[in-house]
Amino acid sequence: MAASVPRKIWQTLAAIKTGVVLLILVVILSAAGTLILQRPATDPDEMQRAYSPQVLHLLAGLGLTDVFHAWWFVLLLSLVSLSIIAASVQRFPNAWRFFSRPYKSPDETFCKALPNHKLIPIKNKDEETAVSAAEQVLEKAGFRPERIVRENSFSLFGERNRFSEMAVYIVHASLLLIFLGSNIDALLGWRGFVTLTRGQESSQVKPQNGSPRSLPFAVRCDGAGQENYADGTPKRWWSDLSVLENGKVTLRKQIVVNDPLVYRGIRFYQASYGQTGKIDKLLLTAIPRDGQSSKDVTLGLEETVPLDADASVRLAEFIPDYVVSDGQVYARSTQLENPAAHLIVTSKKSGQSINVWLPPIPGLEQNSSSPYAFEGKDVQMAYFTGLEVSHEPGQWAVWAGVVLMGIGLTVVFYFVHTRIWVIPVRNTRGQLQLWIGGTANKNKDAFEHRFRDLADRIESELKTSVETGAEAPAAVLAGK
Amino acid sequence: MERARVEQQPAATGATLVVAVGLGVAFLLFMAFLNVVKSGNLLNDSNLLYAALIFYSGAGTLYLGFGITGTPSYIRFASIATCAGLLANTGAVARRWYEAGHPPFASIYEMLLMFVWTLAVLTLIAEKKYGVKVIGTVTMPVAIVGVVLMQLLRTEVRPLVPALQSTWLHVHVTLAMLAYAACALSFALAMMFLIQDKMKTETFLAGTSVFSILTYLGVLTRFEKWGGLSVVACNPEEKSEAFLSRGVRLFVVIPDLGWLLLLVLAAVAAPLVLYLIWRKTHNEGMLEMANRAVFLSILLQVLALVFFLLRTRGGVYPSLDADGLFPTALAASPFILSGLVGAIFVSLLYLLLLWRRTDLERMLPKADELDRITYKTIAIAFPLLTLMIAAGAYWANRTWGSYWSWDPKETWAAITWLVYAGYLHMRITRGWRGRRAAYFAILGFAVVMFTFFGVTYLLPGMHAYA
Repeated sequence: MAASVPRKIWQTLAAIKTGVVLLILVVILSAAGTLILQRPATDPDEMQRAYSPQVLHLLAGLGLTDVFHAWWFVLLLSLVSLSIIAASVQRFPNAWRFFSRPYKSPDETFCKALPNHKLIPIKNKDEETAVSAAEQVLEKAGFRPERIVRENSFSLFGERNRFSEMAVYIVHASLLLIFLGSNIDALLGWRGFVTLTRGQESSQVKPQNGSPRSLPFAVRCDGAGQENYADGTPKRWWSDLSVLENGKVTLRKQIVVNDPLVYRGIRFYQASYGQTGKIDKLLLTAIPRDGQSSKDVTLGLEETVPLDADASVRLAEFIPDYVVSDGQVYARSTQLENPAAHLIVTSKKSGQSINVWLPPIPGLEQNSSSPYAFEGKDVQMAYFTGLEVSHEPGQWAVWAGVVLMGIGLTVVFYFVHTRIWVIPVRNTRGQLQLWIGGTANKNKDAFEHRFRDLADRIESELKTSVETGAEAPAAVLAGK
Repeated sequence: MERARVEQQPAATGATLVVAVGLGVAFLLFMAFLNVVKSGNLLNDSNLLYAALIFYSGAGTLYLGFGITGTPSYIRFASIATCAGLLANTGAVARRWYEAGHPPFASIYEMLLMFVWTLAVLTLIAEKKYGVKVIGTVTMPVAIVGVVLMQLLRTEVRPLVPALQSTWLHVHVTLAMLAYAACALSFALAMMFLIQDKMKTETFLAGTSVFSILTYLGVLTRFEKWGGLSVVACNPEEKSEAFLSRGVRLFVVIPDLGWLLLLVLAAVAAPLVLYLIWRKTHNEGMLEMANRAVFLSILLQVLALVFFLLRTRGGVYPSLDADGLFPTALAASPFILSGLVGAIFVSLLYLLLLWRRTDLERMLPKADELDRITYKTIAIAFPLLTLMIAAGAYWANRTWGSYWSWDPKETWAAITWLVYAGYLHMRITRGWRGRRAAYFAILGFAVVMFTFFGVTYLLPGMHAYA
């Protein structure tokens, strides 16, 4: 009967050879993806520096510049999943049959073929005593022996760790679960970035490419900061975040690197921190010319603060790194290197506005006309906090798969399915003997030792049961 | 077939060697103690490490002695020396942990510390539990090299950058060290299997040569046009690697080192070439020359190593990317150093095999036992690899928001995992044993080495820490 095409496909898929070939392909292509520069991570100009235009064109055309997102790579991984499913489904019925129907009374061919067995002569005892002795030993060894009774005979069967026969399917199922999780994330998950300055709130997330995504809630930065070690390297970045839904704060958390904010399945990670180059607050001491006590003034950009009943001061400009050229003030950079502040002192009475520059810049400053002298105390630059945002609905399947795989692997390697049979038999001369046989599904060399040990213990238990007062045996003849 | 043999080294008698080593250890410890008494601080990091070095050297010498002569008492004393070294090493680890305030995982120095510690532990386990007594011959010299390397690297405690301050980091790195150590052990066992399985010494010759060629080719990817070798510059005030800009390292060119290494490449390739000629012509003289070539190549390799050490520890060099002269440091080139030392070590092991094969065969367990133990070791390594990848993914998820980003290190870790999964499949479902299984185990370890060294040295990525 010729196999139909679907059947042939199924069998090829389920074959171990297919799996091996597919995995070798995965290895080769993944390795290529690490050796060839990959597009999203590498800048286009770096790519052009590394490869000639023809080579680059070829690589990009084949999809080798973004291997892990290429359709053929995804297809390959899907085929791997299918082959695992096919191989498992094909082998599972047999394994399940083996698992669910324990082979409790072995037949003669099986007994003859079993490598681990021992025949113990039963002298001056009946079958019952012998089997009970064996039962006791097996019980103590943790086998929970069971008596198998048939019309003409009875025997013992004990086993441990039967479940380990199924462990390999658990391992493969866990692998499929992990694939499922990562596929869900590939399809439904997304990642983006949002930058917030202090007090700013946003519900828009910028993805790496594409239009901004709107969230059903907003995140507000209530504060952010950076702590450094003594040598200046960053020790800790933190942000105080509040989540606002319909205008109300529903969650507050201080996040640091390694400890994100999670809200409705969306995670906000502390990714970066830096200066915006703009000033946040300027702290000054205003010293009145008439000798009265000085006062502390805090100004934000374009902010006006009253100094007394008449005068007020406004921060008109702040240049973090100034340089004067041709009588004009220019900003050399956005780093706080050489700051200059332009204050405007206004008098209500006279209506005058006086330009005060700190430090005084010749040609622009009118510091001496000002009713107040100013001393700079502190500059607080505005900082932004950079948050990485991600939504990975499938990760729970991935973590569940990992845990399941851990369990599966532990059982596969460290739990041995061991079976012991004890059958009273008669040899050709009609003498009663106890046949003990055993098998284990792995670590066969260690099991050999354990089996011999067990058989010896049954033998000695048998001997002592004579001495504890068993009667002279009634003749034990067939017919029981 | 007559096999060419270089003359045997005279074997020392049992007691002489033990006494000599004992005296040597005592002498070195005494000198160290005097030095310490002068400076005052007894139980600091580097003193404990120095003590560990002395003990490991003693143990290594005795293991080597056992390897050469087969005297059983050597093993006993070697074990004791290893235990003593392990104690000192544990002390150094504890001290480092205490001073840094976090488990020692953040820099190359700390990872070497843990690696050497793990090697000592595994040596004792392999000896006591598995009865593989000769493993010290391999692990102790590696441990010695590790400790020496640590002495040469900068030791001050680097504070952890924010991304590394996580418990999951410690879990991930611990698992990585354990997994790689188990893989290394399986590799050593597979090699021993091949010895016991009567693989021809000439094949080992070819293998050693191929390994050395690959190593020097890897190092020589940094060859510059005028014969120099590019190494990472260092910043002496900050005692760290020098950076051109964010994430981009500054490289300097050490002149002539490139030519020297090319010469060494030719020297380590010569045995392979001679071997191939022997295969073709069956001229025994070729094989003898090949063995002499190995010996010669070791001398040249040591020369290159000394040159490299001297050049990196002093002097300033020009850079192709920036004006001026910059210094470099040994700590900035851990992979080149490991490559050179590793290649020398492998060649020495080949010589040991060549001169003492019959003794080795007598002392190692039987082939099929080694085959089984290799499988058991991989059965330990594989779950560890799995958990290591999982812990790394979880940490990445908490830090960067993505548990898998096909980063080169992640991808190669997955490839390593697949290769060992392949080994297990072939063994369990296809009944692969013996030679094929051993080759597979060796392949697995080669991939581990690439993941551990090659990815960081040859490929860029986010895994820039180690």
